[in-house]
Amino acid sequence: MSDSEDLELEALQRQLDDAFETTRPRPGFEDELWTRMQAQRPAGSRLRDAWLGLIQGIREVPAVPMAAVAALLVVIIGAGLFAYSGLGRGAGSTATSLSAGQNGPQSDHFAPAGAFGRLPGPVLNPVSPDKSAVGTTAPSAAAPGAAYSGAVTLTWKGTFTLTLPAAPVFRYQEPSTNVADQFATSLGAILHTRPAGYLGSYDTTDFNVLLRGTVQSPAHEPSFSILPIKPIAPIEVAGGPADVAVVILAQHSLAPMWPYTPQAVIAGDKSTVMLLRQFAVPGYGNSYLVDSAGDRYGMEVDLQGNALIGAAGPLPLGLESASYPIISGDEAVRSVLASAPPAAANPSAPVVTLTTAELVYSLVVAGGHSFYEPAILFSGTFTANGKTYDKHILVPAIDPSQRSS
Amino acid sequence: MLADRPQFEDLYRAYMGRIYAYVRAQVPSSADAEDITAQVFMNAYQAYARFEARNTTPAAWLFRIARNATLDHFRAHGRRERLRRTIEHQPVAETDPSGMAEERIQYRALLARVAQLPERQRDAISLRHSGLSFEEVGVLLKCSEDAAKMLYHRAVKALKEAVAMEGA
Repeated sequence: MSDSEDLELEALQRQLDDAFETTRPRPGFEDELWTRMQAQRPAGSRLRDAWLGLIQGIREVPAVPMAAVAALLVVIIGAGLFAYSGLGRGAGSTATSLSAGQNGPQSDHFAPAGAFGRLPGPVLNPVSPDKSAVGTTAPSAAAPGAAYSGAVTLTWKGTFTLTLPAAPVFRYQEPSTNVADQFATSLGAILHTRPAGYLGSYDTTDFNVLLRGTVQSPAHEPSFSILPIKPIAPIEVAGGPADVAVVILAQHSLAPMWPYTPQAVIAGDKSTVMLLRQFAVPGYGNSYLVDSAGDRYGMEVDLQGNALIGAAGPLPLGLESASYPIISGDEAVRSVLASAPPAAANPSAPVVTLTTAELVYSLVVAGGHSFYEPAILFSGTFTANGKTYDKHILVPAIDPSQRSS
Repeated sequence: MLADRPQFEDLYRAYMGRIYAYVRAQVPSSADAEDITAQVFMNAYQAYARFEARNTTPAAWLFRIARNATLDHFRAHGRRERLRRTIEHQPVAETDPSGMAEERIQYRALLARVAQLPERQRDAISLRHSGLSFEEVGVLLKCSEDAAKMLYHRAVKALKEAVAMEGA
């Protein structure tokens, strides 16, 4: 081997050293993976660590009355059993709630409890959202009365028990046009234009696909809508409109990966199928996602017979989840009653008797990341001038110590 | 926990980047490299209780897991690609433009050339330049230390010729 060849090989080896030294994953991958690994640890080891942490903490406390230690143990062991059994973590790992045959995870990454910091609270928009823009709100035929957003005084006549210590908060990152393009490509669609306010407009031979990012007000998550650009042949499926809708969505790889409840409104040969989105709350069950008017929503499929005439729904995005402490049912009732002035202060305001309450999820838009947060939706009806109105009031479920607003 | 065994998180922080680079030199896309790296550390995390530092170094242990995961990936990927091409009659995808924009590689062409070497040569270069000794490379490739050295030097020469041919 000549000297010059030796030198060339040495130079190549130095380049290889540099190549392997500088090849690293994208920023953030290391922490993401570590978080995923922590979330998948066996419950036993997490419980053991909790014990070790507890004992270490007690060792560092100089003189604590035994009764206080015992009380602390009871509280912490209870919380530890909850948090480390998987119940206190984001749903989807051990307690994914399923509906209509869905079995996909609703969260891709699990972060430690409270990992998202203090959270902004959800609010109801006093103006009804522009439902025609995306068209994914539950059909209004399901509502007995018109929504009322004016001032009221409130009373509570119902029972609402909520004793969960914690519930998951879900977070997504605002999708880029690159993410939108990838989603469109997965549908076989090619970018046509990028209209103002949208991530892109794409075409297949049969459909136009319109993708939009998060809408600030009224809050709406990134979404897609699909409109045929030529008549679509009906499909052969036994069953009702909901079955047809799910099959069509599956044919286009759009079947939701989250729990839902189907709901169909049929008018002649046309039907609107809503797949009302839910979030699984460990220890509670499924909670509906509600929009800024307090209405349940999710994915919508419009059919004429067994043929698709349109579909709209949330863009499939990766969700992180983190557990947050929540308030009790009694605290929620106190909070909702305190949200309106007493009757004496506003004698002309209609008196609304709230009769139902349920744990729901609400989208909270917050810049580059937005959240699906647990909230308690109180509802009631009242009649004024012969007309029946619905009144919805949303109370943040996250403990006030964890809220920024 | 054994006194001579580091905390797993220390191991993870020390080796995650190196394992990723090793895997990335074997596979054509950053997405695959991330998936395999994740699998490596998930497997390692579960197996760490059985790791004994007196039998092997943490680096050799982790790279063994990485090598097995990469080989598993190729086996599974080969099956999937054959099936896909049969169904779609499409050629194999060569690049991953979306992922390429996100990771940090200054010597992309060189690593791509490494990835095209025969398996043992590719392994010898990747393991050696990931920081393993020739003894550790030999253990992983089931050969002696001297044989590992010889394999490595042949691999570097083959790489040099491939680079020269590409530039010609």
